[in-house]
Amino acid sequence: MEDDRVLEVNTPAGPGGKATAARAARSLSLTAIPVVGIGLLILVLPLFVPTFISSLVTKMMIYGLFGLSLNLLWGYGGIPSFGHAAFFGTGGYAAGIMILKAGISNFWLNLVLALLFTAVIAAILGIPAFRVFGVGAGATNPIYFLLATIAFGELLSRMAVALRPLTGGSTGISGIPEPDLGFGFRTTASTYYYLVFVIVAVSVYLMYRIVNSHYGYALRGIHDNERRMQALGYNTWLYKYTSWILAGVFGGLAGVLFAYFGGTMVPNNLAMITSDIAFWLVIIGSTTVFFGPLLAAVLFVGIEYFASIYLPARWPLIFGAVMVATIMLMPNGVGVEVLKLWKRVTRGAA
Amino acid sequence: MALLETNRIFVHFGGLAAVKGLSLSIEPGERVALIGPNGAGKTTFFNVLTGQIRPSSGSVHFKGMDITNHSVYARTHMGMARSFQITSLFPNLSVMVNVLIALQGIRRGRYDLRRYFLKDKELVAIAQELLESVALWDLRDEKVSSLAYGQQRKLEIALPLASSPDLLLLDEPSCGLTPAESSDITSRIRDLGPKITVLMIAHDMDLVFGVAERVILLHYGEIACEGTCEEIRANQMVKEIYMGSRKSVTGTW
Ligand SMILES: Nc1ncnc2c1ncn2[C@@H]1O[C@H](COP(=O)(O)OP(=O)(O)O)[C@@H](O)[C@H]1O
Ligand SMILES: [Mg+2]
Repeated sequence: MEDDRVLEVNTPAGPGGKATAARAARSLSLTAIPVVGIGLLILVLPLFVPTFISSLVTKMMIYGLFGLSLNLLWGYGGIPSFGHAAFFGTGGYAAGIMILKAGISNFWLNLVLALLFTAVIAAILGIPAFRVFGVGAGATNPIYFLLATIAFGELLSRMAVALRPLTGGSTGISGIPEPDLGFGFRTTASTYYYLVFVIVAVSVYLMYRIVNSHYGYALRGIHDNERRMQALGYNTWLYKYTSWILAGVFGGLAGVLFAYFGGTMVPNNLAMITSDIAFWLVIIGSTTVFFGPLLAAVLFVGIEYFASIYLPARWPLIFGAVMVATIMLMPNGVGVEVLKLWKRVTRGAA
Repeated sequence: MALLETNRIFVHFGGLAAVKGLSLSIEPGERVALIGPNGAGKTTFFNVLTGQIRPSSGSVHFKGMDITNHSVYARTHMGMARSFQITSLFPNLSVMVNVLIALQGIRRGRYDLRRYFLKDKELVAIAQELLESVALWDLRDEKVSSLAYGQQRKLEIALPLASSPDLLLLDEPSCGLTPAESSDITSRIRDLGPKITVLMIAHDMDLVFGVAERVILLHYGEIACEGTCEEIRANQMVKEIYMGSRKSVTGTW
């Protein structure tokens, strides 16, 4: 499989200064240019496009974060989950409930508390998930783990329906106000765009650092050969468990941003229908390219938008059809193809 | 004090007793070979030593401590390391990353989220040394799945060395190699420092006699006989067990 792993595993500090310099220049054009370019584009975009477009871009960024968070677990750790919305919804509900029921209006405080809450939920669910059902080396059958991840989302969404006084029951919570950033500053729809941009950019950077850290490479090793990792001295259980929590927290962050974005949170935000989105983002984007799910989020929100205009009743069909077509045409995901293309472009230019 | 001591180890797989009351003791610095026909229980015994499987009964002591119920990774931290009979690498990662991961396994900072793994200069320097010693340095950027079998085999043996173990367990290190590659492995194992204790499973008699000071013959999960290379070479039972069950034994008798 051609992927950016191969790119990333190039020896960093080989002898031969020239080769290293050329490599550094190449990696600069490979990563720095697109990253800065896209960043700038997002920053100036609202000046040139109508608000409904910047609102779509806000959603792309949130979904991109959601997809990346699942990919941390799945693409790097090799742990697939069909219930990632459990964290997305937990983050969103926690934020909404704290504002509306507990009166915690400050955005930052609310964010931190919601993420802590999501981490606790992930830590609790992770114990049966990894200790009882198990995935990877020593697991009886990974299907049980997958079924458990589905069950977690369904369980939490049923709880959201049942705990009506807190959660608003089946209609969910609505009326989440614009974020209050402190010092009397409240975002509007157009400034929220920038808030999301900053938070998502920081999160993407953090996740990038995580997957390239010592910890991140241990996850890759576990993905590739968990038994060997154990033989080499790694407590693989702890890595899997903590990556589940980390992925949960980033997924919860996407949920918090989503709750403020739409002002509402409904039980389906915890359930399969939302988990499917993360799943789609990773499959379409590619599990082997870091930024793949971000690309997929652009596609997802774009297609969703056009489908909602032209074929509103056909959305699930389109969603599935794009998935099938991508798997057939680009089995490694869009991210891999885009990366290949970009490598060709930069090689041509150099 | 013995470095490794096992006490009446039994392993049952359903109705099959793969290991039957195996007791042995290995002194620090010893080079021991475990031989025996296929299915004798050698790999199963290794799996008990390293913790991949729990024995049905019996105990394993390492450095004076009962480690029968220790996890695999904990034993590695205590100074054990092993290679696998069936090559077990990280096929989708590069040779360099394979070694870096192996080096990091017992070192501090393996949970570090902040530093770039590939820019860990200290680790890269040790990896270079290790890769040069097994002549894989030029292939460092290759994906492991694209390596030739003989090269993968070399890496298979290099990975456990990354943790500078006190006890090195090698499961058929020369399995499937050409005679030239095999003798290369033999000299490499022989050149390991005197501080490393080696317990090695092997079929290749050149390897056994080239490395081991003591040879243990396992047959149907039990020790059939044990002795120095000369004793084993002369032993009639060894010939019968080997010739009777497995004709492809190489080496001179
Ligand atoms: N996980 C297992 N489950 C069931 N039987 C096994 C298992 N592992 C090994 N065995 C059986 O145990 C016996 C010993 O196998 P093994 O230890 O691999 O032998 P050796 O390494 O000496 O060739 C064989 O009969 C083998 O089929
Ligand atoms: Mg074997």
